[in-house]
Amino acid sequence: MDFESNYDIVGSAQFIRTHDFTRVALQFPDHLLKDSTRVVTALRKRLQSLKKIDVTEGGHEKDVGLFVMADTAYGSCCVDEVGASHINADSVIHYGHTCFSPTTNLPAFFVFGKASVCIPDCVESMSKYALINSKPIMVLFGLEYAHSIQQIKERLLKPSDPKLEVHFADVPSSVMFPSKDTKKINGLQEPASGYHGESGTTYSIGGLTWKLPEGQSMDDYSLFWIGLDDSAFANVVLTFNTCDIVLMSIVVVKIPIKIMNLFDSAILEARYELDWWQDFRYDANENQMVTDLFQQRRILKRRYYLVERAKDANIVGILVGTLGVAGYLHIINQMMELITGAGKKAYTLVMGRPNPAKLANFPECDVFLYVSCAQSALLDSKEYLAPVITPFEAMIAFNRGSQWTGAYVMEFRDLINLPQTEVADQEEEARFSFLKGGYVEDFGNQENVEEEREALALVNATEKALQLRNNSNAIVKGNARSGAEFLATRSYQGLNMPIENISPEPYLIGRRGRASGYEDEKNQQ
Amino acid sequence: MVKFTAEELRRIMDYKHNIRNMSVIAHVDHGKSTLTDSLVAAAGIIAQEVAGDVRMTDTRADEAERGITIKSTGISLYYEMTDDSLKNFKGERNGNEYLINLIDSPGHVDFSSEVTAALRITDGALVVVDCVEGVCVQTETVLRQALGERIRPVLTVNKMDRCFLELQVDGEEAYQTFQRVIENANVIMATYEDPLLGDVQVYPEKGTVAFSAGLHGWAFTLTNFAKMYASKFGVDEMKMMERLWGENFFDPATKKWTSKNTGSATCKRGFVQFCYEPIKQIINTCMNDQKDKLWPMLQKLGVTMKSEEKDLMGKALMKRVMQTWLPASTALLEMMIFHLPSPSTAQKYRVENLYEGPLDDQYAAAIRACDPEGPLMLYVSKMIPASDKGRFFAFGRVFSGRVSTGLKVRIMGPNYVPGEKKDLYVKSVQRTVIWMGKRQETVEDVPCGNTVALVGLDQFITKNATLTNEKEVDAHPIRAMKFSVSPVVRVAVQCKVASDLPKLVEGLKRLAKSDPMVVCTIEESGEHIVAGAGELHLEICLKDLQDDFMGGAEIIKSDPVVSFRETVLERSCRTVMSKSPNKHNRLYMEARPMEDGLAEAIDDGKIGPRDDPKVRSKILSEEYGWDKDLAKKIWCFGPETTGPNMVVDMCKGVQYLNEIKDSVVAGFQWASKEGALAEENMRAICFEVCDVVLHADAIHRGGGQIIPTARRVFYASQLTAKPRLLEPVYLVEIQAPEQALGGIYSVLNQKRGHVFEEMQRPGTPLYNIKAYLPVIESFGFSSTLRAATSGQAFPQCVFDHWDMMSSDPLETGSQASQLVADIRKRKGLKEQMTPLSEYEDKL
Repeated sequence: MDFESNYDIVGSAQFIRTHDFTRVALQFPDHLLKDSTRVVTALRKRLQSLKKIDVTEGGHEKDVGLFVMADTAYGSCCVDEVGASHINADSVIHYGHTCFSPTTNLPAFFVFGKASVCIPDCVESMSKYALINSKPIMVLFGLEYAHSIQQIKERLLKPSDPKLEVHFADVPSSVMFPSKDTKKINGLQEPASGYHGESGTTYSIGGLTWKLPEGQSMDDYSLFWIGLDDSAFANVVLTFNTCDIVLMSIVVVKIPIKIMNLFDSAILEARYELDWWQDFRYDANENQMVTDLFQQRRILKRRYYLVERAKDANIVGILVGTLGVAGYLHIINQMMELITGAGKKAYTLVMGRPNPAKLANFPECDVFLYVSCAQSALLDSKEYLAPVITPFEAMIAFNRGSQWTGAYVMEFRDLINLPQTEVADQEEEARFSFLKGGYVEDFGNQENVEEEREALALVNATEKALQLRNNSNAIVKGNARSGAEFLATRSYQGLNMPIENISPEPYLIGRRGRASGYEDEKNQQ
Repeated sequence: MVKFTAEELRRIMDYKHNIRNMSVIAHVDHGKSTLTDSLVAAAGIIAQEVAGDVRMTDTRADEAERGITIKSTGISLYYEMTDDSLKNFKGERNGNEYLINLIDSPGHVDFSSEVTAALRITDGALVVVDCVEGVCVQTETVLRQALGERIRPVLTVNKMDRCFLELQVDGEEAYQTFQRVIENANVIMATYEDPLLGDVQVYPEKGTVAFSAGLHGWAFTLTNFAKMYASKFGVDEMKMMERLWGENFFDPATKKWTSKNTGSATCKRGFVQFCYEPIKQIINTCMNDQKDKLWPMLQKLGVTMKSEEKDLMGKALMKRVMQTWLPASTALLEMMIFHLPSPSTAQKYRVENLYEGPLDDQYAAAIRACDPEGPLMLYVSKMIPASDKGRFFAFGRVFSGRVSTGLKVRIMGPNYVPGEKKDLYVKSVQRTVIWMGKRQETVEDVPCGNTVALVGLDQFITKNATLTNEKEVDAHPIRAMKFSVSPVVRVAVQCKVASDLPKLVEGLKRLAKSDPMVVCTIEESGEHIVAGAGELHLEICLKDLQDDFMGGAEIIKSDPVVSFRETVLERSCRTVMSKSPNKHNRLYMEARPMEDGLAEAIDDGKIGPRDDPKVRSKILSEEYGWDKDLAKKIWCFGPETTGPNMVVDMCKGVQYLNEIKDSVVAGFQWASKEGALAEENMRAICFEVCDVVLHADAIHRGGGQIIPTARRVFYASQLTAKPRLLEPVYLVEIQAPEQALGGIYSVLNQKRGHVFEEMQRPGTPLYNIKAYLPVIESFGFSSTLRAATSGQAFPQCVFDHWDMMSSDPLETGSQASQLVADIRKRKGLKEQMTPLSEYEDKL
């Protein structure tokens, strides 16, 4: 597929043109960055040519400023509005995989890229599946395959077998306007297909939307997913965990090539991750159908475990994982209230994309709550010292009386609107912890005690500091109720000011060389 | 029908000298519940005629069905003794009325925890031993437990009827058998003797041994016969009793007592002459329906039968006659009242075992004195499901003070630490209840020395707790019970219908409460796990879960899963090093196996994080050959800060080392919980920190850099030290006749078990076999064994130790590596172990 169409230069230029944007940020994920210059050149050329037409028609426009943005602080699937506002951009063009999280301020244009899919194979396996399956089928797909969906649809429905009940999710429009001017959205988003006039439930996930007729729910459908086994798919599995799901997997056979050796291993790894992107694919796809989604189902169970873990937590670290997704401040505040309401201590941490090393700097946190866009929200925190959960899981964990029903909400904006489960007035039972296998106390029941503790936390801490402690009961996770208490139990609490000996120390010559091996060590080895 | 009312019971509860709290303990199938029936019958709760058949204390349907006791059941009984029978009683008493709080306990080893819970709240134990089978493994276990809790035992040699009817042994042979049973029991008791408890051995001539036939409802002690003959011989009862046991022979021809068998045909042992033979005679006469001979004999004995009873024939007649002549309740009750301590006596010496706090505070004093006016000290030892689904009675014993309906109590859970707010609730008691067989009676209050069931606290007590008055903020809790079994067999459960999950969660919560031993947890993979002591235990638990606690909602259970441990065989082959993510810090470490017995010592709490470092280093240097200085440099234990692995600092002169200690410890807790092989707990590994290189800037050596690095270096040192898997192993005891031995051996062989002791029981055709059997092979062992021996062999399995599997898990294709792969698959991990190169860095 050619470069221009893949990067949808025409569409992008059209978008800039029609809305008269003058400062446009082009947001690339890391692995597409190397194409950025070509994209800019092509886009500029295209705009120029459009401008010429305009000029001939009598307009007199300023030059459009194009800015390349890279290395986003959070997931590259969201529109980096903060980054864009540094250059006063009035719109963003987003390249690559996206989570379609609504933006707060800036209009955005999405370029999904176009991954190839073997349409006949796909159609064949789909119709086969449809025949053996009693339930109607709902077809969902990875956004990078959106371009082929129309063709698949036509082919599949051509035999006009009335028995074949297959529905497709709507192909999303690539234009997004900030959610505050909703009218505009309604005006611009043209429904690609579907069931006009009918009233029913509208579902949307990761940019895909579809409507079901009244009285039907997703449980009545089988899901058919065209695309990769990626985070978008994981979201679908989690959200519709009661449906039968089939993955039409596009497996890419990777052939390492020599040039790779020039890059260091980190980049190499990064490249391997992107095999979905057509330009980086070294070989043809191999389409295959996967019906056994055991591994994916496991995710749900694992999340259930994390919720149970979170229930036992005393200190919760809220990780701000987005500065762009609409409503993030609202949800952070809501979570804050929820956590304090449950008698736990919350700390808000802003640290960009989390990794094990960063989070291990806060060993006092028993659990982290990651507020981010839906597709980067699921962190399998196996490698982390403390688990990382989503706002939805936090709602279940910290709301007394709410139960894990299996329903799963990925997007936190759905949580804001979620009717608050009315907590039964002080349900008279201590909380049972499945991790400890017994009842554990809940300080939520003892509000006044909690307040008292807050006020006295420092006093208690100093009190403990004066006590003779056993040297070996260092960090016992989960005992401290606040950062101050945790500090008090540490064996090392930071530098102490030398009070007596204030004369300066004689200077010493330190080590030389690099950390990976100092000079004096190199000699030894 | 019931001979007493709740009011009467309540009245005696105040007479602390007239209370006996006792449990009935024995090996499985030695007749505890049957014998208990006769006691219950005497109290009038069930009819005398059906005693022995009802098994009153087996209240559950499955108990009745299987014929085994599963839960311990308490009953409060009231007896009025006659002045005559009490005339020899020397202890303090208050009138002739007595209250017996009796707890019938299960004998199967899987339910040992129920026995522990029963023993905690009683002061005396009736040890039941089958006269033919003798002292078995579980007899020993429960005896040891009882003595550990300072429970005074009395013994009854049960199933006497088998001697007369089944085996038809003659008097001397029977005597030898009984003597051996008593001796065996005494040997065990002597081993666990406790100076404060005094002599706990039992002697028939002192009246602390009874002979009973639970099924037929009769029993006697030598006291019974001594009374009968004392007047006839014109000697003192005490003297007579001595003559009725041991090397005392009587020759009716010469009417002389000798201490040796004179060899004349008529010379017989006192016991045989005066106890065994008369009974044998009566039984034989009854069985042969020689009624004409029977009635005069009975008349001579002073036994009068009702007219309708005279029409009975054979066995029924025999049962009736024996019950009237030697009622089990009289003999046993007398033995209990005379020889078991009252609460006020028992608590004097039990207090130091019970109370955790200082023994000179007011709570200890109140327990010691069994003071009803003192502060409340109540120990809840188990939870009993109530008739309304989902609720529980908290069953326990009042050690001091009194508990009443509406009283606000402080509930101190097992994790309560005095002075802190953890695991502490203040709630009020809704109702106080006493147990009378299958019925419960509400009473206003219950004073100390009694067992009681409380309503309204079940939502704050998981398994056990200490209760005290609301205002007694400085009270320490009563020491937690120590169980002799551990939950080593686990299954994952899930509900068939996904939407039943809330039911499952609720059900598991209740299950956890209903049994002292079962543990309900959740795995990393999100599976709910139920862990129990053995196959049978789990089976019962899961049945309860589905039928009672989940309202019949269907569950799917996985195959039983056994947890393994990871250890190392040798010292690491080299010092391994890992770099922090920023490459600025390096940790050097080695792993080595702990000395033999050290891990067990840590398990038992002999060595632990809370020890005084001086004491600890003394033990380590003297018993385990550690360097004295090194013993002071233990950084921590793990997992969970108390586990049997440790980190020792071996570095010399490393700067900033104190700063990273917390981080290394955090990394260690994490790594020791999830080992490198299959994320099982580590065991018996000692990690030595050999050297540390740190960045000079504090910001670059924070927790974020050190914790993950420490974890990696722990794994690297584990992998370089010949890692091995440890599997749990059962100690199996099997009792079987000789012809079954072949079958036993072949089944054990096939299941990787090995026999280490085979002994014939003297005087019986039975053999006692002791063997080790890997827990993982034990599933279905009982049934296979039964099939192979046509039902003659019955095994008892108890977790014994961890055994190292010799095959190398790192070698592909070995048995251990297959096992590791299976575990990893089950846990949803990558099937391939992470290679060493991921953990170890090169300079």
